[in-house]
Amino acid sequence: MARLSLAEPRFANPSVLLDTQRNFERLAISGILGAMPAAANNAPAIEFRNVSYDAGGREILASLNLEIARGETLILLGRSGSGKTTTLKLVNRLLEPSSGEILVNGVSNDVDIIHLRRGMGYVIQDVGLFPHLNVERNIGLVPKIEGWSAERIRARVQEMLQLVGLAPDIASRYPHQLSGGQRQRVGVARALAANPAILLMDEPFGALDPLTRDELQREFSALQRRLRKTVVFVTHDLREALRLGTRIALMESGKLISVASPADFLRSADPLVSAYVRAFGDGLESALDRSNYDRGTS
Amino acid sequence: MNVARYILQNHTQVLDLTWEHLWLVGFSTIFAMLIGIPLGILIAHRARFSKPVLAGANIIQTIPSLALFGFLLPVPWLGDRADRLAILALTLYALLPIIRNTYTGIKGVDPAVLEAGRGMGLTESQLLFQVELPLSVSVILSGVRVAVVISVGLATIAAAIGAGGLGEFIFRGLAMVDNRVILAGAIPAAVLALAADLAIGWLENRLRPS
Amino acid sequence: MRHVLLAAGFAALAIFLAMFALSCAPSHSDRIVVGSKNFTESFVLGELIAQQIENHTRLKVERRFYLAGTYICQQAMLAGRIDVYPEYTGTALTAILKEQNSGIKSQVYQRVKSEYERRFQLTLGPAFGFNDTFAMEIRGEDARRLGVKTLSQAAQFAPQWRAGFGYEFMERPDGYRGLAATYGLRFAEAPRVMDLGLLARALQDHQIDLAAGNATDGLIAAMDLFVLDDDRHYFPPYEAVPVIREQTAQQHPEVARALAALDDKISDAEMQQMNYAVDGQHRDAKDVVRDFLQRKGL
Repeated sequence: MARLSLAEPRFANPSVLLDTQRNFERLAISGILGAMPAAANNAPAIEFRNVSYDAGGREILASLNLEIARGETLILLGRSGSGKTTTLKLVNRLLEPSSGEILVNGVSNDVDIIHLRRGMGYVIQDVGLFPHLNVERNIGLVPKIEGWSAERIRARVQEMLQLVGLAPDIASRYPHQLSGGQRQRVGVARALAANPAILLMDEPFGALDPLTRDELQREFSALQRRLRKTVVFVTHDLREALRLGTRIALMESGKLISVASPADFLRSADPLVSAYVRAFGDGLESALDRSNYDRGTS
Repeated sequence: MNVARYILQNHTQVLDLTWEHLWLVGFSTIFAMLIGIPLGILIAHRARFSKPVLAGANIIQTIPSLALFGFLLPVPWLGDRADRLAILALTLYALLPIIRNTYTGIKGVDPAVLEAGRGMGLTESQLLFQVELPLSVSVILSGVRVAVVISVGLATIAAAIGAGGLGEFIFRGLAMVDNRVILAGAIPAAVLALAADLAIGWLENRLRPS
Repeated sequence: MRHVLLAAGFAALAIFLAMFALSCAPSHSDRIVVGSKNFTESFVLGELIAQQIENHTRLKVERRFYLAGTYICQQAMLAGRIDVYPEYTGTALTAILKEQNSGIKSQVYQRVKSEYERRFQLTLGPAFGFNDTFAMEIRGEDARRLGVKTLSQAAQFAPQWRAGFGYEFMERPDGYRGLAATYGLRFAEAPRVMDLGLLARALQDHQIDLAAGNATDGLIAAMDLFVLDDDRHYFPPYEAVPVIREQTAQQHPEVARALAALDDKISDAEMQQMNYAVDGQHRDAKDVVRDFLQRKGL
């Protein structure tokens, strides 16, 4: 797969962008988009190259460089205002970078925005289920506009409900009839319905009570082991990060401070990292152990 | 009752005038919806236009209706036919409630729902037709309901410039100093307004996403 | 929800189409609707037209009297809401056709008839026979005391007088403005604008000294009022005529025939008498008209 070198800022050469577009379209037509692109297994799923983001005169992100490998769960960790949600939104272009570029599967993401987003699952804290549609129609919305047959959609919805641990008869219920935990499960099911390769999650379990949060974290872990999607997960909760992530990227004031595996994170000597670790108090080892337990490696 | 007898005796005329009345109200409301709903959607999406558009509609509302009818009389094509003129004026008066309710309805959609929709890859038009409008339809309808009730009342004044409708009974009754004739116009107009209010209100309730 | 919306949409569409279809068809093909304006003479003439049609044809007649003015009647004719109503040639010429009034009866009649047919698809029946032009009335005692018989003579007394006119007379191009210019009328204060029905009483009570009435006012003889002669021929002729929709005349030639029988049947004095019977003696217009028709053998 051709990897275009685009060292200059993205707006410099329109014809180069057109080539990028054609490449992406070729991939899409060949049906590769949505599944793992065959070639170059070690090419990162998502790559940030010198990405900056300004808003209202302030610099929110400063020259971010980050690679996210295929099949990993990368946690964007940090306090409020650290730029983690901004980083997430740059991937599916809910925000546009001020400079630099983002590559998805080796190709700049500056292509047909709708197609880009349909290839990614997006789960947010408030879930955002469509209140006027029942669970089945919520989950099946993207497949429906992608033109799947009614049969296929119904089967897929049941499959997704099972995947996220919901009873089949939930399909006819409406969002206002569901509990918070059930709603977020539907949110995850909806994000996975069209089988995207990449999952973007913005503090998805933050609004849930501790018991439900624990439940969902455990189930998510199991799910991730099964599906092996590339996940970018935003949270401010270190325990959650240790439990769910393959790598943790700590951000502060729009800059990437460190990227490390959970174990390395806890042992890190970096002052900001250790400050974060300290802030979460004791017992973090057990969170780590839990993650190993969840993963079935111990 | 004298009025009841009068209405029964002249039932063809009452029906004629009621039909004329419905004609005036119906057309003007439909035009107002065709203009007002898209405008409401526009200003909900582009904050820059919301102030001027809402202010404009508000200003129209403050013009006394009879004065507006009078203004438009000398206008070439419009003033030639009173019903044309009346329909234009009624359309203008129906705009504010419809624009404002469309604006409120669309702005009232949960931003999380919109964000999730965009993130999922819905196009702006899919977002509008499959999410924003279905969620706002009840509020928009309530604006239409207000517009219809206002129009039924205003259309009675339109008879003053010759547009016909139930208001004609009222003005004729005033000239004849005959209460029966006045009521033969006023009562059906009130019934019309009530019926529209109830019918559209029922529809609103059915369509509200609970 | 979708079904309710669709059903409502279809219902609305059906109603809309029905309204459209029905509005194109004639609304009352088996009935004749007779209109009139909102003063005594007009609805006496309207009643005359209605009874004449009822007596000589098999058609049902509906009465829509007391319409508030020339413009309203014109609009009702154009919209097909009424089929025939009594109008005055002078009024039609100046108020509707917006032309200058030549002052010659037959010319005015022909001009109105041809223009109405050309522009509005309306036609004129033969005139009823009287000329209801404006009458400038003063109290009989003043006329005798001051020895005035014509408007030119009266002009010298105008500065000592208060005038009272109806609203239409004040506003119409062939009303007060032209009159004042033609005769050099200058009153002490601006003329009072009053309801037509109150002018005679105000004159009698010395609230005003000069009123613009009509030549066929019922109260002229009854209240000892004197009509000043229009020696400069300012006021155009106002022959009363029936105005008919051409479509109605074609569909029901018997209507045109019935109205033709009224040609030149009412003199100025006879109209005055009928007006007085209704206004002064408070008799029912229906009876007054029936008596007249019987007396005339129509």
